[in-house]
Amino acid sequence: MEIITMRDFSFTYSERKAPALGDINLAVQPGEFVVICGASGSGKTTLLRQLKPAMAPHGSTAGEIHYHGKLLSELDARTAAADIGFVQQCPENQIVTDSVWHELAFGLESLGEPTPVIRLRVAEMAAFFDIEPWFHQRTAKLSGGQKQLLNLASIMAMQPQLLLLDEPTSQLDPIAAAEFLATVAKLNRDLGITVVLTEHRLEEAFAHASRAIVMDSGRIFCDGKPREVGQQLRNMNHPMQLAMPTPMRLFGDCLTVSEARQRLAQLSIDPPAVEADANPPAPEKAPVLNMKDIWFRYDKYAPDVLRGMNFSAHAGEITAILGGNGAGKSTALGVMLGLHKPQRGKVIMHESRLAAVPQNPQSLFIGKTVQEDLQEITRDYAQIAQLCELESLLQSHPYDLSGGEQQRLALAKALLTHPKILLLDEPTKGLDAQFKQQLAKILDNLTQQGTSIVLVSHDIEFCAQHAHTCALMFDGQVITQAPARQFFAGNSFYTTAANRIATWAITCEDVLLFLQKKVTKKT
Amino acid sequence: MKTLHPITSLLYFTALIGFAFVFMHPVSLGISLAGALSFMSLLEKHKALRFMLTFLLPLFLFAAAANLLFSRQGVTILAYFPSGNPLTLESILFGIAQAAMLVAVIAWFRCFNAVMSSDKLVYLFGRAAPALVLLLSMSLRFVPRFTRQMQIIAAALRGIGKDVTQGNALQRAKHGLKILSITVTWALENAVETASSMRARGYGLPGRTAFSIFRWTQRDMLVLAFVLTCAAAIITGAALGGLRAIYFAEISLAWQPLTFVLFAAHTILALLPSVKEALTWKS
Repeated sequence: MEIITMRDFSFTYSERKAPALGDINLAVQPGEFVVICGASGSGKTTLLRQLKPAMAPHGSTAGEIHYHGKLLSELDARTAAADIGFVQQCPENQIVTDSVWHELAFGLESLGEPTPVIRLRVAEMAAFFDIEPWFHQRTAKLSGGQKQLLNLASIMAMQPQLLLLDEPTSQLDPIAAAEFLATVAKLNRDLGITVVLTEHRLEEAFAHASRAIVMDSGRIFCDGKPREVGQQLRNMNHPMQLAMPTPMRLFGDCLTVSEARQRLAQLSIDPPAVEADANPPAPEKAPVLNMKDIWFRYDKYAPDVLRGMNFSAHAGEITAILGGNGAGKSTALGVMLGLHKPQRGKVIMHESRLAAVPQNPQSLFIGKTVQEDLQEITRDYAQIAQLCELESLLQSHPYDLSGGEQQRLALAKALLTHPKILLLDEPTKGLDAQFKQQLAKILDNLTQQGTSIVLVSHDIEFCAQHAHTCALMFDGQVITQAPARQFFAGNSFYTTAANRIATWAITCEDVLLFLQKKVTKKT
Repeated sequence: MKTLHPITSLLYFTALIGFAFVFMHPVSLGISLAGALSFMSLLEKHKALRFMLTFLLPLFLFAAAANLLFSRQGVTILAYFPSGNPLTLESILFGIAQAAMLVAVIAWFRCFNAVMSSDKLVYLFGRAAPALVLLLSMSLRFVPRFTRQMQIIAAALRGIGKDVTQGNALQRAKHGLKILSITVTWALENAVETASSMRARGYGLPGRTAFSIFRWTQRDMLVLAFVLTCAAAIITGAALGGLRAIYFAEISLAWQPLTFVLFAAHTILALLPSVKEALTWKS
């Protein structure tokens, strides 16, 4: 029997007219791993929340939701709490208590389990999720990835049958995200837990999923195995294709790089000759910022974070600093900004006006409305507001904006100070494909007006597509810095999926364009 | 000591801190001090030595000296201050005793702090009111997060050239208020999510239990019995005058056979953690 059935379900938020969900018919079998994708605002989170009574938003519903054949609304509170687990987006806000062991026990305390039972379950969870090394830690000391893992573990302690996850990896770096999803997949595979997951970073999620659902304006319009869905989207030439993993964008029903490579080989087409002129060495632009042999540590007794870092950014260019966790990327930004004073070395600025957007754009907002926040800097904000497409949002509270809108507001605030150099810390974190494109458009606009941009990012695909120059940081130094194409063409691990599929290409668009040309030539 | 049940630890510290505070007999003070300092070195290794030299020793000297200036009692006059006040042997000794007491109590509290993590304190409070445990635990999580967020906001604003630590007092106050107000908004926003996370995990269902990872073991039983016996003996002996220590007007200290028994008991108790550790790791 199905674990979840939704019949002709629709939902309208209170105080709104248009329904947020409509005509939802969905049956989930026990043991399935379902990924729901769709652009921001497509209703995937709203749908997911309907499945957990305690999380369901206020509004009016029509149609029915059944859980194990019984009406979900009639499920008793105790079963609903224990049987259906829900992991939210923000790792930080879900944690209730100050210590890891207490967090693991929280749900079981609510259920009124006696101490010996809790002790056993907590031990089980700590062992399964490999939490033992930090079992006695304060929750505040954990990394983002650990926090989200703790959230998952403390829900699994209640032994749910259905696990709902709402964009659980959007705040995590790629490595932590992959680890988290692998753990979810293990729960599904080894314990048979039914998983329903919303996500917009689909590379790993699709590889684990047994079923994918695509939503658009509150409706389900694709539902099937991930490969089938990829093929359908391709046939429809739907904009959601942009969000799909690279192999899928290229060949529709491909999931992994190795599959895509084989497919490309089957086409037996000659790789395009890399023309000498294809990459003319860019005319050396004037440097705007130089870092020379920078050494920095936070504390006398702390280890060095920057260890002889050399770096330069050039006028009117987007320079991306890539690198793993703890390579010192954000610290380098802090040094450029003058927040940290290096112990050795020099930062040479050729421009004095500098502005930075922090990793969490929210921390820049201090006004009650978007307008007030912009006025905080200057009354003359109209032009920038237009550039960042904020006009329709001026009266909203900054905290009510979506992730992408918040990023744009933060950008606008920084731009109002008319910086010649703009520093961005992880600007694409938590953004979906559409918002990333919007952001890229704004950044392109800025560089054309002569602003130089330095950004720190984990997002290889975004940097490959939009940065002029890329630098790889490792162990507190910049290991290599080169024009984007050259940079990625020279790497074999730290590179884009498109480059791994076709060594002569860097971005997905390169391959698509090339394939199109070949196809048109043949016909 | 760290692995004992919080109740056992609490009782031990109550006894030792109490003794350090009350017994002014020079030998008792020496025992208190020796116990506290050796326990501290055990807990904090080389950091303890630094703390002793940079803080406890100056404090000891200062407290002993300060007492001289204010105390005019005693019969054994050694000299006169220029102001005409007498300097007496009794006041010197009393000053040293007071300073030793102060340092011993501080050192014991430092050990207490190192052993009694917030988990244990929360548990102990919770014995009185289980509902309090969650509240305390949540506040312990909330307060540092709140201050951290204020720092993050201030740093972010500095990143766009709005240095909130600059400007005149009025401007700074205005900025400070703005940051405080937005941080409150931030906290409320997050609280909504935290609340839903609590509800999603069944908070509010009737019959909530309170879990703790602390286990009452036989070792706790033994240690507790031992501590209670020693403490009871010492308190009884002290009540009988076995540790009499009078400094003014004339020094008069107890030196009966009972006194030495009490010293022995106090020494065993005070050095219990250090000796136990030394025996465990001897070979």
